Amino acid sequence: MGHAFSGKYAIAGMAFLAGRFPGRTARALEVEAVRLAIEDAGLRREDIDGAINTRIESGAAESRGWTDSYARILGLPAKFYFTVQRGGIMTHLAIVAATQLLELGIAKYVAVGYGATDWSDSHQKDGRRRRSVERSGLWGRPHGDLAAASHHSFFASRHMHEFGTTSEQLGMVAVSHRRWACRNPRAQMHDRPIELADYHRSPMLVEPYRMLDMCLVNDSGAAFVITTAERARALRRPPVSVLGLGFGEAMRDLWWEKRNYTNLAVDTARESAFGQAGLSLNDVDVAELYDCFTMEVILQLEDYGWCRKGEGGPFVAAGSIAPGGTIPVNTGGGLLSGYYMADWTPFVEGVTQLRGEGAERQVAGAEVALVSGHGGEILRPGMCSTHGTLLLGKGA
Amino acid sequence: MVWAKPLPNIDEDNQPFWDGLRRHELLVFRCRTCGASYWPAAYCRTCPAEPFYGNMAWVPATGRGRVFAFNIHRFAFHPGFVDELPYVYALITLEEGPNFGTNVIDCDPSEVRIGMPVEVVYRDVVPDEGEPFTLALFRPASR
Repeated sequence: MGHAFSGKYAIAGMAFLAGRFPGRTARALEVEAVRLAIEDAGLRREDIDGAINTRIESGAAESRGWTDSYARILGLPAKFYFTVQRGGIMTHLAIVAATQLLELGIAKYVAVGYGATDWSDSHQKDGRRRRSVERSGLWGRPHGDLAAASHHSFFASRHMHEFGTTSEQLGMVAVSHRRWACRNPRAQMHDRPIELADYHRSPMLVEPYRMLDMCLVNDSGAAFVITTAERARALRRPPVSVLGLGFGEAMRDLWWEKRNYTNLAVDTARESAFGQAGLSLNDVDVAELYDCFTMEVILQLEDYGWCRKGEGGPFVAAGSIAPGGTIPVNTGGGLLSGYYMADWTPFVEGVTQLRGEGAERQVAGAEVALVSGHGGEILRPGMCSTHGTLLLGKGA
Repeated sequence: MVWAKPLPNIDEDNQPFWDGLRRHELLVFRCRTCGASYWPAAYCRTCPAEPFYGNMAWVPATGRGRVFAFNIHRFAFHPGFVDELPYVYALITLEEGPNFGTNVIDCDPSEVRIGMPVEVVYRDVVPDEGEPFTLALFRPASR
């Protein structure tokens, strides 16, 4: 038996833009995505009475500071507008907030948006990478901890040391994602198939990570509209219901539990989400996992239980997560080969699959999608501590 | 030497740690009650807290530890690191327990191994602008 929350709320509209949008601000990309999500739901802008913005806390220069809002620009009659800011679990946290506002009857239709100019920022002469003084609360830039790979690669370092995971196995994660991306016409790497030999030719940037172990960089805007399942059923698009939500944090274990570099904080997140939904792992038809780097995929395959701890390498090497494998993972190509929108990438793909709109990449009979989130850099001394689990279901 | 790299953030919370490095002392934050060590500053996990870290004190560490995890940067994400390539960025498990993020120097990056004993070495920096500071780096242990 699930929790009363399970199935009570549904995603009624969804839209995203991903690619290179030079000259567009992050705000403009978010505004456009929200406009499209409202249209997608078949609603009018006048119907949206709640608005939430999401950001990554360590995000790009502009998105850290902007104060104007898509709700003002679109003229939404929102009763509230605020920001949910946390790396890697933005959609998860926004759903917590939105569903409580729906539950209290404060709002009927809540819009949630995201915009980022990661590609445009990285191609600016005076971008944030030139920041000369480290921001308060961080650690490592004077030592060369300059990019996510500078500390996320510790996960790979430890897993390879403890379990003998190989470069070939990391490469198979990249290859599996690319095979899915080649079936998704919107994926950045749609027309660029790779095999293991291409992986081994890929430049070594932060050993053990090659370029093909790392996620893409692109500009993006994404949005969804959430409402009650009852209202969603009356709208024009196939509803996707929220079945369960959960969260995990590893920051407390930073000193004591040094296993937290071979395990993500999945345990509590998984137990909460599956408990609310009254489901087990076997019920998951598609796994949309936060894949900022290849090792994060292996860790989650183990931590959720698709394979045992330490066996994620051989599991992916057997083709288990690629098209035709035992568990479809990141069916749109993920962050590695699809588009980088943090946890919005797994989120939009989960919704796409449960709407049955995956076309060439559609997983037949997909009823339940797992959407994970990971990140939240704690740069002292360098870990990514947060995890979110969202279970979505077909229909409402 | 011109310091072309990012500067550290030195705020009220971590000033004593950076002051220690200027004296060539690597400090950890120790509970006066149970002796557990933390880095960076934290309330003791197991002992009753006194206001504002009252039962905690910055004390010198041995400066020895072992490599817990590491990577080899072969690409400079900041122009100040171009001349350093390839460089090792690592987590060092200090003898006192905490993990510390820093560089392993004075050896070929290909020689670095997890579990390798290392010891602290100090690098004094006088930047063009701002106050001088000292970084704690690690090298293969001499004994």
